[in-house]
Amino acid sequence: MSLDPDLYESMRLELRRGSLVLAVLACLRTERYGYTLRQALAADGLEMEESTLYPLLRRLESQGLLNSEWREEEKRKKRFYVLSPGGVAMLAALTDEWRGINASLDKIL
Amino acid sequence: MDLIDRYLNAVAAQLPQDERADIIAELRDLILSRFEAKEEELGRALTEDEQEAILREIGHPLVVAARYRKGPDSLVGPALFPYWLFGVKAGLLVLGAVYAITLFIRLIGGADDAGQAIGNAFHGFFSSGLTLIGVATVAAAVFEHQGIRPAWMTNWRVKDLGAFGLADPAAWGASMTGTETARATWMPKPRARAWPGGEYLFSFLAVGMFVLWWVGVLHFPGLVSLELRGEDAVVSGAPIWSILFGPILLYAFAQMAIDLASLFRPYAVRARAAAQIVVAGAGLWLTWAIFEAGHWFTLTRGEETARIAGDWTMLDFDTLRNLGDGARDLVGIASTLSVVLVWALAISALSLAFKILANLGRLARG
Repeated sequence: MSLDPDLYESMRLELRRGSLVLAVLACLRTERYGYTLRQALAADGLEMEESTLYPLLRRLESQGLLNSEWREEEKRKKRFYVLSPGGVAMLAALTDEWRGINASLDKIL
Repeated sequence: MDLIDRYLNAVAAQLPQDERADIIAELRDLILSRFEAKEEELGRALTEDEQEAILREIGHPLVVAARYRKGPDSLVGPALFPYWLFGVKAGLLVLGAVYAITLFIRLIGGADDAGQAIGNAFHGFFSSGLTLIGVATVAAAVFEHQGIRPAWMTNWRVKDLGAFGLADPAAWGASMTGTETARATWMPKPRARAWPGGEYLFSFLAVGMFVLWWVGVLHFPGLVSLELRGEDAVVSGAPIWSILFGPILLYAFAQMAIDLASLFRPYAVRARAAAQIVVAGAGLWLTWAIFEAGHWFTLTRGEETARIAGDWTMLDFDTLRNLGDGARDLVGIASTLSVVLVWALAISALSLAFKILANLGRLARG
């Protein structure tokens, strides 16, 4: 039976959605601004639309998981993000959860 | 103004004032970074078309701005949608019944053009139905936006879910004519209480529709005109309706308040019974006042008029048996409708009296 491409795309996006937050937190152990963060995620195979990434960064900051600061670089002001202490703890907890889910799925699959 | 400014202006207009400058500055940096990366890749400056293609990739200003919204993304979210759907279905059912009854009265009243009467009924049903859906959607959006979750949505019990079975049309009438299996499935179980919220939701929606109509927000096309031998007859209210406009509105609001309170606290039996007694008493007084007025509507066709009016003498079964035997002219139709209205008022008074007695019983039992 052939795979329904639309259904596959919708299920693939659903599968990815939850893991993107973890990926963003993990990438921000090092300080980055939005554009370089997106490039870093893409380089590791996690393409993310700007219209999703930038609002996500603001949300994570408002939740106290990120710190941000405006700084000038390459003659332009850029907003740099990095994990806050709360973000570090959250990343550790979510990483454990992710590994647990992964291990369970590996057994099932 | 260049392309980036035009794009960012469109985004900025959708953003909250306090965050606007910050978000726009960040987006500007993103766009410039994308432009520079592409220019580096091509080894030349970008054309306007290429710049526009990158902006399109970033997203339509409405979509980009919407992602920054902090509230819910939809008018009716997935948690509220089943309740919204049930409310809309229930409301449409009530509307369908109202129009079916109205159409029936018009057809037996001698509407010459049955096709037009049916057409008017359909038109009225669809326009009122769309209004109902709009009102329900606005109500759900308010619930969604304010994060309101009434107790009956979260604190329900399995044994109270019987009324929801009636959403399946296959269940209707099963109690009267269905097979043993259907009856066993759909008949109310003697010891199980039906979910009280369903009844109050129906009542709230129906009375709400009435209030909207009463104050002139909602229009039921065709309700104030009759087709009589090819000519339109207009129905106009007697002075009693103007006199009782306020009291009737208050009565409807009181009923809605009880329904709403019951939705949130379905098991406050005594408080509800006490309130129902007061409101039913007021309803009884209103019914009496309307009956005593003796004149309720006037039918007008051209120069000709006929009163829809009545008194106690019409409350006998001979009059009821001869209903519909009268002439099909304006006076005959008015006379038939007068009898119908007298009996409707009497039945209404009787049911209100029973309601008072039943609630007195509830109050006594606690």
